[in-house]
Amino acid sequence: MSRLIRQTLTIARRDFIATVMTPMFLLFLLAPLLFGSFGAVGSLGAQSVGQSAEGKERIYAIAAPADAARLRAADALIRPAVSRERGLPTLVTVAPAADPATQARTLLSNPDIDVPAVLYGPLDRPQLIHANPQSTTARYLAALAEQALRDSRANLGAGRLSRPTFARVERSSTSLGGKSAAGFFAVVSLFVVTLMLAGQAVGTMAEERSNKVIEVLAAAVPLESVFLGKLLGMFGVAVLFLAFWAAVGINIGALLPPDFAEGLSGIAPAIGIPGFVLLYILYFTMAYMLLGAVFLTVGAQAATPREIQMLSLPITIFQMAMFGFALAAIGRPGSWVALAAEIFPFSSPFAMAARAATSGEWWPHLVALAWQLLWVALTIVIGARLFRRGVLQSAGPKFRWFRRG
Amino acid sequence: MQDENWALSADGLVKRFGDRRVVDGIDLQVPYGAVYGVLGPNGAGKTTTLRMLLGIIEPDEGHRRLLGRSAPRDASDRVGYLPEERGLYPGMKAREAIAFMGALRGLDWSVGRKRAAVMLEQAGLGHAVDSKIRKLSKGMAQFVQLLGSVVHQPEFLVLDEPFSGLDPVNQERLEALIRAERDRGATILFSTHVMAHAERLCDRLCIIAGGKRRFEGTVDDARALLPMKAHYVPRDPAPGIAALLPGDAQEERGGWRFTLPPAGIEGILVRLIDAGYGISGLSIERPGLHDAFVRIVGEADAEKAA
Repeated sequence: MSRLIRQTLTIARRDFIATVMTPMFLLFLLAPLLFGSFGAVGSLGAQSVGQSAEGKERIYAIAAPADAARLRAADALIRPAVSRERGLPTLVTVAPAADPATQARTLLSNPDIDVPAVLYGPLDRPQLIHANPQSTTARYLAALAEQALRDSRANLGAGRLSRPTFARVERSSTSLGGKSAAGFFAVVSLFVVTLMLAGQAVGTMAEERSNKVIEVLAAAVPLESVFLGKLLGMFGVAVLFLAFWAAVGINIGALLPPDFAEGLSGIAPAIGIPGFVLLYILYFTMAYMLLGAVFLTVGAQAATPREIQMLSLPITIFQMAMFGFALAAIGRPGSWVALAAEIFPFSSPFAMAARAATSGEWWPHLVALAWQLLWVALTIVIGARLFRRGVLQSAGPKFRWFRRG
Repeated sequence: MQDENWALSADGLVKRFGDRRVVDGIDLQVPYGAVYGVLGPNGAGKTTTLRMLLGIIEPDEGHRRLLGRSAPRDASDRVGYLPEERGLYPGMKAREAIAFMGALRGLDWSVGRKRAAVMLEQAGLGHAVDSKIRKLSKGMAQFVQLLGSVVHQPEFLVLDEPFSGLDPVNQERLEALIRAERDRGATILFSTHVMAHAERLCDRLCIIAGGKRRFEGTVDDARALLPMKAHYVPRDPAPGIAALLPGDAQEERGGWRFTLPPAGIEGILVRLIDAGYGISGLSIERPGLHDAFVRIVGEADAEKAA
């Protein structure tokens, strides 16, 4: 057994060093930075487009000073309660001219700014003109008029009558939304990371095939050790990659405003943060090893780079299928879909990571990890046998019945 | 029959690729400490046999035993192997490549590195210790791989066509290395179709043709399969001499070449002297391994054709 482990680690060490000690690895390591840079350039472009329109939108209310004051008071009261996504333009009140209707149309047609809606006329019969057929801003102005009229009839001034106190209170239990967000985060991030890293395993055996080293390895080491060693070597590369970006992320996180951390506080896994982190690492390991073993097995059958290239599509589809399966499980926790995704070995790490977010039980994770480990071993054994049969042309007596069949 | 006294034994090994029996019931016994040659023409099944003996591929039928283990892989740390298709990682340095191959066979990596430097120096490749494999010539890379197959000081060394691709100087070096390994106590099995190497190195050998073992024994045993030849040069090459010589006599190099009869050459010489032809030159030629090989393989081809 120790000999097997030693041989496995020899292969793993060779693959790890051969991958990491190359200029290409630096490119691979910094690939997210490149993606990020392209994304940032795109975002900046979009932001500049957005900023050019920002601050150039107004809604107008043409009203006498007393009504205007009431409208502003109502706006101050209601606006914060309206979702920020609504993006309501600033309210501007103007005194009525001789012909308020013409004045309103002039304001609506202002070529220098966007005016989606204008209110004029008495508050009990407000006239609203708007350009958009389904203008919510016009409805907002109507609501302001209603509120201002109520305030007027109650003989209320512009000042606030109540003095609300706002206090933030921690929930005693994780919210459904927080659990769901944590589950979604787990599945998506696991998928992205394995998509990026496990796919590398496809071409690793091709190296040995093309430079004929496979004969040396096969003579000295069981093929299962070769497969596992290569998988561990590539896993080491993946861990190095993730450690690098985790370190970068932590340092960048320290520079972010507190609001950002508050935003993340909504992510609340049911099993608790430390347990979730532990399980996330374990499920990442399992996802990598399982998918990596499949890719290694499939890739080992390919004889040329072209064949490997052709394999990338079915492999991506396979990964997407597992991702979709796991996502379906998040949406229906406890359903048969979720159970199937948790049991099916190649979607199990994703689905179980999602389960860690939505359920506080530990025992299913222990069972799942053992189950996934078994499948890692099975996949490697099957991969090695397929390689022995297909590439080394060695079925051996045990497979004779199969050939005859 | 398999025996613990053999470093390697094989009994009825069969390997089929599709419907073709590439190896067809080969038996083999290699004594401990011997240099054993597996000879055969191209496509005879030598490499497939070696791969089965090492456990790289499984036989369809038959059994083999390597260093007392019925599963050859169980003895892999005590075995060295140079495959026919040479393979090294091009990005590795020569020293690392040798240490890596040793590590696969259980040798500590740091020990392997130290030994690799010494071995490369001894092989006249000291300048290449830290050179990457892709920078080395084919012959040098081949020698690096050879050193990698012996760095862990194996008890059993298998070399598949080790001389192919080497220049005469490196062939000499390789022969010296094989002798050194034998002197160290290793058992060596190598395949070749170059008879000169087998003749110089092998204690025993087998000849494989058409997937079957056609001969097994010493080099002398192989030579003994063919009768000795005599080359006679008369002092007076007058006509009519052929009538006094054996039936297969043929003119060659200013004289006559013929098979030595079982009764000896004395009777023929007496007749020639009495007839006045005299003797200007006479040499008795032992047939070479090459001749034996050609005859054995020729017979196998004839059998296959029939």
